[in-house]
Amino acid sequence: MKPKASNHLWAEIGRLKSQLSEANDTLDAIRTGQIDALVVNGDNGHALYTLKTADHAYRVFIEQMTEGAVTLNSSGLIIYTNSQFARMVGKYQSGVLGSKFIRYVSADHKSTFQELFDRGWRENAKREITIVAGESHIPVLLSLNALQLEDELALSLIVTDLSIQKENERQLRISNEQLENLNKALISSNHDLQQFASVASHDLQEPLRKIQVFSRFLKDRNFHELSEEQRHYVEKIILSSQRMKVLIIDILNYSRLSAEDGHFVSVNLQHLFGEIADDFDLKISEKNAIIEIGELPSIEGNKGQLRQVFHNLMSNALKFTSPERIPHIVIRKKDYNAKEFGVSLSQDETYCNISISDNGIGFDEQFATSIFSLFEKLNPKSAFEGSGIGLAIAKKIVDKHRGLIIARSKMGEGSEFNIILPLQQQK
Amino acid sequence: MTIRNVILVEDDPDDRDLFATFLGKRRDVHLLPTVTNGVELIQYLELSSDAELPHLIVLDQNMPMMNGKQTLQYLRSTGRYAKIPTVIYSTYADSSLVVDCKSLGAKMVASKPIDDKGYQKMMDDFLQII
Repeated sequence: MKPKASNHLWAEIGRLKSQLSEANDTLDAIRTGQIDALVVNGDNGHALYTLKTADHAYRVFIEQMTEGAVTLNSSGLIIYTNSQFARMVGKYQSGVLGSKFIRYVSADHKSTFQELFDRGWRENAKREITIVAGESHIPVLLSLNALQLEDELALSLIVTDLSIQKENERQLRISNEQLENLNKALISSNHDLQQFASVASHDLQEPLRKIQVFSRFLKDRNFHELSEEQRHYVEKIILSSQRMKVLIIDILNYSRLSAEDGHFVSVNLQHLFGEIADDFDLKISEKNAIIEIGELPSIEGNKGQLRQVFHNLMSNALKFTSPERIPHIVIRKKDYNAKEFGVSLSQDETYCNISISDNGIGFDEQFATSIFSLFEKLNPKSAFEGSGIGLAIAKKIVDKHRGLIIARSKMGEGSEFNIILPLQQQK
Repeated sequence: MTIRNVILVEDDPDDRDLFATFLGKRRDVHLLPTVTNGVELIQYLELSSDAELPHLIVLDQNMPMMNGKQTLQYLRSTGRYAKIPTVIYSTYADSSLVVDCKSLGAKMVASKPIDDKGYQKMMDDFLQII
């Protein structure tokens, strides 16, 4: 028997060992929060031992949630609610408990809720519906999960208030609509501008050319029959029509700049200024002007457009000369201080500054910005003819090259234009 | 010397008169009845025998129905007219019009003149082509 008793003891030890390990596992699980209630088979049937700390934490958690949380029984009665849901429907918790949840659902969503309620017992379900709180309707997201409570199955509902989200969506939609309308208006106004350019290029120029043709015929063919006064009038017509032609062409060029997209190549500014000086050959010798061109770099840009910028600036420097001294125009690369100009430049770019200075009549520096506006002219028409578009074109081109153009001047002493351009353009 | 036929395609009556006046001063040149747009030109050419076809077609650019460039395109793609020297003149001959029309086969693209001298020069240039 001895061996038998020994075997029995061994078996007893084994059983106790496994019980101990089970108890240890349970303790671990409790410690790590995997379990918050224990069902223990006792003398009076099953007893439920909840873990006070865990239960308390969850209750606080649910109370503090910004979502409403309710639990329904199988007939749809609210058996638990947090205070947030009660607040949502404008009642005290006690007033909500025991009532049917469906009574808080708006009339048009009652059938949807009923379907959701039926489905929620079998699977998790989510749906946006509207709940009623007194006079107001609140859009909410309902999230349903079946929940095994102590002795019966219940349905837990998380009720998320979507009012703010919906309002944001509405605002966003309105903003989008406004943006879309603005965009449409912009496209249409761009189209109008193109139309205008086309009209200006042909329809306006045709009658203008007739005025030019016939006023010239009148002058050339009938010169001797015209009185001095009549000749004077014809001359005025010819000059005005010439001037109008310049205006139309300049406006066209300006409006075309918006449409053209940048085609950037490496432009040798040294060569460019050489070419421009050649263009003004006649004017330069006529005015005995001294043109000094320093060492200039190559930069990336649209060659035709850059040429136009410097052409316009050179043209101005040669136009607004002072009769008191020999015109002296200096073009050079110059160090600059962005702060001194009161501007900010991108840190990721390398820029160069081209300065064009003259000793002409200058202008009042209070106009240093406005001279770049379309049709802005500072000088009386009779003294210096021009369309008032040259600097506007220059500014627009420099803008398109992501650069800056800054004018400085002293009345009666001369002007300086600084053109700060990035060495490289974005491809 | 044989008489060379020139046809002007022009919708503007003043410009038709001016053109006729200046061309009329040239010898050995005959101005065919003027048509006012590309569609009329094509109708005119279709009714002409080979011997009656013009030696030079002068197209205004800005015309209703079928403008100068479109007319040029049609002429170049139609065997019977493809070889007839054609020029375009316009109030506003910008560089894109010049490039486009030259590549379509225009012998010359000119801006409409504004004085006697300009007209004489243009007639010289045009008649040199034929």
